[in-house]
Amino acid sequence: MYRIITNNQMCLVKYGDQIQVEYLDGQSYMDVLVKVRDYIQNGWCLETHPMTGSLKPNQTPYKSVMVSDRPVDKEEFYQQEITIENGITACRKFQSIRKTPDWPQNLLEDFQAVDLSLIEGAIQKIL
Amino acid sequence: MSKLRVVHYINQFFANIGGEEKADYKPELREGNVGPGLAFQQSFGEEAEIVATVICGDSYFNENVDSATATVLDMIKSQNPDLVICGPAFNAGRYGVACGTVAAAVKKEGIPVITGMYKENPGADMFKKEVYIVSTKNSAAGMRDAVKKMAPLALKVAKGEAIGASAEEGYLPNGIRKNFFEKKRGAERAVEMLIKKLNGKEFETEYEMPSFDRVAPGAAIKDMSKAKIALVTSGGIVPKGNPDHIESSSASKYGQYDIEGVTDLTAETYETAHGGYDPVYANEDADRVLPVDVINEFIKEGKIGSLHKYFYTTVGNGTAVANAKKFATEIGQKLVDDHVDAVILTST
Amino acid sequence: MKLELGIIPINDIQFGAESKVENGTIYVNADELKALILEDENLKSVELDIARPGESVRIMPVKDVIEPRVKVSGEGAMFPGMISKVAPVGSGRTNVLRGSAVVTTGKIVGFQEGIIDMTGEGSKYTPFSKLNNLVVVCEPIDGLAKHAHEKAVRMAGLKTADYIGKLAKDIVAEEVETFETVSVKEGIEKWPELPRIGYVLMLQSQGLMHDTYVYGVDAKQSLSTIIMPTEIMDGAIVSGNCVSACDKNTTYHHLNNPVIRDLFAQHGKTLNFVGVIITNENVYLADKMRSSDWSSKLCEWLGLDGAIVSQEGFGNPDTDLIMNCKKIEGKGVKTVIITDEYAGRDGASQSLADADAAANAVVTGGNANEVIHLPKMDKVIGYPEVADIIAGGFDGSLQADGSIVAELQVITGATNEMGFNPLSAR
Repeated sequence: MYRIITNNQMCLVKYGDQIQVEYLDGQSYMDVLVKVRDYIQNGWCLETHPMTGSLKPNQTPYKSVMVSDRPVDKEEFYQQEITIENGITACRKFQSIRKTPDWPQNLLEDFQAVDLSLIEGAIQKIL
Repeated sequence: MSKLRVVHYINQFFANIGGEEKADYKPELREGNVGPGLAFQQSFGEEAEIVATVICGDSYFNENVDSATATVLDMIKSQNPDLVICGPAFNAGRYGVACGTVAAAVKKEGIPVITGMYKENPGADMFKKEVYIVSTKNSAAGMRDAVKKMAPLALKVAKGEAIGASAEEGYLPNGIRKNFFEKKRGAERAVEMLIKKLNGKEFETEYEMPSFDRVAPGAAIKDMSKAKIALVTSGGIVPKGNPDHIESSSASKYGQYDIEGVTDLTAETYETAHGGYDPVYANEDADRVLPVDVINEFIKEGKIGSLHKYFYTTVGNGTAVANAKKFATEIGQKLVDDHVDAVILTST
Repeated sequence: MKLELGIIPINDIQFGAESKVENGTIYVNADELKALILEDENLKSVELDIARPGESVRIMPVKDVIEPRVKVSGEGAMFPGMISKVAPVGSGRTNVLRGSAVVTTGKIVGFQEGIIDMTGEGSKYTPFSKLNNLVVVCEPIDGLAKHAHEKAVRMAGLKTADYIGKLAKDIVAEEVETFETVSVKEGIEKWPELPRIGYVLMLQSQGLMHDTYVYGVDAKQSLSTIIMPTEIMDGAIVSGNCVSACDKNTTYHHLNNPVIRDLFAQHGKTLNFVGVIITNENVYLADKMRSSDWSSKLCEWLGLDGAIVSQEGFGNPDTDLIMNCKKIEGKGVKTVIITDEYAGRDGASQSLADADAAANAVVTGGNANEVIHLPKMDKVIGYPEVADIIAGGFDGSLQADGSIVAELQVITGATNEMGFNPLSAR
């Protein structure tokens, strides 16, 4: 079973009826990462990299990450835990440099489209 | 422009007072330059003048760190210096620690300062993030080279000029990444580095990977209602007044304090020794960092067996990894000896 | 496989009645070129402009930079699978209009990045300030989808570079550079004493505005594979990456890949440059595992003693870089990796999003968070309003006097992870 954790409405709209989506309405990039960490710490498997895209965590407000209930061994758990913690650290670093701006609607849609495209590559593989 | 006033700190050996047998030499202030000070003076030319030299024995300094630092600092300040130079200490461990300690104290007074030592000197690891430490060879044979690197950097620091990257200026990497233009492009540097690596020659990576310890989690505790819990913190919570003088940064020690019968930490009884963060909320109610109050509630409710009678505390701010490891090993052993079942470790 | 590059130095570009290359100057008939570009029905209009070294000109936002080249002899044509048919390139002779470039700009998304300053502080950080640039400003038809928009601008750049390149097909080169890769067997016989070195070239491959094409194939659809270095010089790899201006590899970077050139410079002397392995930077962790397994396996199979691994982009690719490094080292092949850093404006933060002790030989392109001050330019080509929204800019990064205070990451090619620049950090 796969699940997308996202705060990107475009992702929910496009894939909400094909795959499980936990939609974090109105929440931040950081909120998504922290939620993903909860999943990992509850035994879920990280399927996509939390730092997808070269857009910086204080630039794009959107993040979509895929997890699954595939069993993970201890080594995988460590790796995934470190990957998500590094993501959170990087996010915190960029937020301390500058907070994500309050983008106008047209830019928000652009960011949604790019985020959707990044996760889409992975979604297409499992559908 | 008048010459910059420089004070130089050196040990008993470089002051020609004596070796190990004179290492208990007490701090002394002398006018003008002494020993290696001459080479610095020649390098400074008309720009700066060593007005005084402070000498202290390495054993004396390290056995009386607090008082020696205070005395040395007073002597230095009495000369109203524009710049202080400590060492270079090369690979002499206690001298390196003394140079670093003095330099850090001088810097806190807002006086420009640099020191120099070999990269493996224990003082290097302890102080490279606090003060500029010029990288020197491992013995006094490298004095000429050390002065050549230290004198120009010292003048720059004294004049408040922009300081370039460590590789340009010759100081030990201090964790602050700074851009600069190399003579060769990255790809060529990569090819050269690879050839060196393949030939087993020494090469210098341009970025040292951070290394993370991986600790396997202990087995889960089956019955928390019978477990003895200890509290350990790097958040600097200490009894009011900080009786053991744990440093606000680069801690050299940890404290062990009895909290038998204490159910709540108050502003009157506990505080934080930790620098580098706003201490207001920790000082208002130290339970916020060391949750003694909640633990006692849990004990009352039967969720937890008991609280260990001692808590252990140090300051995590800039503390050298080597020191932290040493503290942890000692604390860990004590907890094991006292049959503690689990530890709650808090930070800031 | 052997390729000769015929070097034709270019010192100026001008508009003129007839498109031609003469005495080091490229003359462009603007109307003719515009008509060619506008054959793409997804483009509404196109403007051409010229930016020369030292001029008070800013180009932004930059999408791609491409060096004009033309095949003089040998199989295939420039940019196979993209604007010419699929045929193996990399042999024969290719003429290079050195000192010139085609720069595309277009606002595919509102936050499009990338600045090239032709003079001042910013010009020190971008290699493209030293080139004579023909700038192509593309406007899409209304309502064009982003994928199609990105493609239209990408193709406009390639077509323009091809058009300019072809002007130099019959010009006799002033200087000829020769590059040859021999078979594995021949290499072993020829240089039995020299260490066998490979190059693992990581390609951005994550999705919209994060893609790279190899012979027209989207790199994320491919497994790690082997490519001849001279194929890359003939445009076998094309950038479709528009994000993270400072550390994206433009098509110009691929054509002039510095690792390839510097390995060739030592080829047969201190090392035997065996070949190039390309691998991708996908978002799916299983893909990362597979691709790094594959690249390390190829290193082992080629019998390499050492490998250089270069990266593209920020964040996610750090994990691919570390996986590649760790697994290649695990095969007993020594590595040097090339990356860049995001260490915060004060340089005090952790630089990479991943780390491993195996990565003990690192070359850095510098800290992309470091702040620089770009003076006002007399002329801006492209879309000046994006200054305020580019990555890393402060709110109001566009100062009242027209200057820009921003992080280095806004400069195209500033912290390139192929090691294109002298910039480093400690």
